[in-house]
Amino acid sequence: MASPVVEVLTKGIGELNLRDIAVYRETGGYVQLERAVKELGPQAVMDAATGANLRGRGGAGFPTGRKWSFLPNNGRPRYLVCNCDEAEPGTFKDHMLLEQTPHQIIEGILLGAFAIGCKHAYIYIRGEFQDGFEIMRDAVAQARAAGYIGKGICGTEYDLEFTIHRGAGAYICGEETGLLNSLEGKRGEPRLKPPFPAIKGLYGEPTVVNNVETLAYLPYILRNGVEWFAQAGPERSPGYKVVSISGHVKKPGNYEVPLGVTIRQLIDDCAGGLRDGRTFLGVQPGGGSSACLFEEHLDLSYDFDTIAKAGSMLGSGAMVVFDDTTDFVRASHALIRFYAHESCGQCTPCREGGQWIEKTLARLLDGRGVESDIEVLKSACHGITGLNLCALGDSIEPFLGSVLDRFEAQFRAYVGRERVAS
Amino acid sequence: MKAAQPGSELIASWDPHVAGSDPAFEALYAKLRPECLTLIGTYEDSRSALIPMAHLFQEHEGFTSPNALAAIAYQLELPLAVVESTISFYTLFYRRPVGRYMLQVCRNLSCIINGADAIMAYFREQLGIGHLQTTDDGLFSYEEVECLAACDRAPCMQVNLRFKYDLTPAMIDDMLAAMRAGRYDVKPLPQTKAPGRTWKVDEDTQPKSGGAVGVSNPNNAGGIGDRSGVIMLDRVVNDAAFAARSNERLVHEPKLRPASGDGGHH
Repeated sequence: MASPVVEVLTKGIGELNLRDIAVYRETGGYVQLERAVKELGPQAVMDAATGANLRGRGGAGFPTGRKWSFLPNNGRPRYLVCNCDEAEPGTFKDHMLLEQTPHQIIEGILLGAFAIGCKHAYIYIRGEFQDGFEIMRDAVAQARAAGYIGKGICGTEYDLEFTIHRGAGAYICGEETGLLNSLEGKRGEPRLKPPFPAIKGLYGEPTVVNNVETLAYLPYILRNGVEWFAQAGPERSPGYKVVSISGHVKKPGNYEVPLGVTIRQLIDDCAGGLRDGRTFLGVQPGGGSSACLFEEHLDLSYDFDTIAKAGSMLGSGAMVVFDDTTDFVRASHALIRFYAHESCGQCTPCREGGQWIEKTLARLLDGRGVESDIEVLKSACHGITGLNLCALGDSIEPFLGSVLDRFEAQFRAYVGRERVAS
Repeated sequence: MKAAQPGSELIASWDPHVAGSDPAFEALYAKLRPECLTLIGTYEDSRSALIPMAHLFQEHEGFTSPNALAAIAYQLELPLAVVESTISFYTLFYRRPVGRYMLQVCRNLSCIINGADAIMAYFREQLGIGHLQTTDDGLFSYEEVECLAACDRAPCMQVNLRFKYDLTPAMIDDMLAAMRAGRYDVKPLPQTKAPGRTWKVDEDTQPKSGGAVGVSNPNNAGGIGDRSGVIMLDRVVNDAAFAARSNERLVHEPKLRPASGDGGHH
């Protein structure tokens, strides 16, 4: 079958030096920004995001236009913060976009900021992305010199300041209110909601937090029209998406596709299929926080609603594929250890739940497990979700719960077994 | 009682009013002060410059030293404890000196199912140290970290925050040899103090009894306590302008009071 891969955000990557503003402009870059500030006006940009039904590409899939519409008209300053704190296990799309096409991200941020009437936009870049941070810093300097950032953008009355803020190693800062606390120079602990950031965000003012990929699609929606985006993929979950595929496939990588392709197409036609002689056991469709899907789900449409209906989630659009060499006890342990490590510790179910599941799985792996550990794991899976301030706690059990249900024998086989390897 | 780690003896000793406490740090402070002012001016609220300033000092000292924390607290007019509690949240701030090469190997899902266990075992064997430890010669620090967002090229790692992909034992041999010979393609970190066994402050907080793991004497060198209260009082007494400013903040800026209206807590 033909490859469903399209090139929108990924166009030119690997061929052109899109870090150079001149090269980016040759591909039509910054034309939409200029058009927006000179001709269209903010409402038209907002209408484009709403009309295209652009849903957030960072994890929650919330409609971007609606998120913007929550901002109150109270005369207070407004902020746009671009979330580039990509750390969801299995996700590496923003990493690529940041390093390869920084101007596309800047143009998206500028358009979003213009749409909501923001005077100071921020991009929060994950601390580990040292290269990406330096690349973005150079790109912003180029854009500033070209008159796209600062006072009187493109010769209009519109002023916008732009600040790059680098994190320092904390997954939880990808959660929008944790991110805002971190940006304010505090511990990156999520806030109680409501109030949501649209009402009370950065410095207590109305704020929108959008993912890198979400904002990067804005110039193309303006360029190609709302219909172009809205008509790709399913009606309620339209458009294009960069999917990060890793794990046991021949060609792991980022593949941009219209939503609505099947999981099987993504694995076989994009990522080259499984390694030779291996059989498929499962796939995590939306990053470390999503429940595993199995053989019977392979022909499902890859879109927000279908994947949610199947009991998992599209999340950040990161697929991790498992073949029959997978030790799901080891795999679960690696993931749970991550959540235990990254819990900010505010909520007891998340802080304690993650730690204790991690300890129980480690004990199984060490050959010190007992039969009742399996029951403990099952019951723990029901005691965390929905009881925490943010979604991190809710992300601990879906993968474990799904693979424990499907591959319980693998877990039981560890009981009383000598530890084999490291 | 365990000896304090290298670097911890300077707890909050630095203050621009106390000249001569650490000439090397004073020189660094003078050098970085303009850049700190730029960072402070970048944000609507000066506290947002806290993390960028810590990055700046760490880039020059190789770790986020107690002096750096004090200098940040001084410049942002925050209690040292507030700066310390913030910095301690973030894993990329090394609170004690580290090796010239910080080796951070991914231990998350996509790497684990693609052979990261063997890579980590190989590193441990070759270096003779474990997770969160530094070699005796001060050359290598080793940490097993969470997903680095490079899963398509697993197993992966960072060396001083520069990505290295598709790791194999042969690559590790070459990498370590090049680092030992001083000809590796990633710049070594600055090393202004000799590292100890680990850079985690948890090691400073030895259990007092069987059950009291993690509870430390706050007045121990390297413990969570410090002279911030003393320094603050001293400044309130001696610096009228500072006292007026800090009082004004406490009264008029509820944002700075952790328990009330802190960005939406009810």
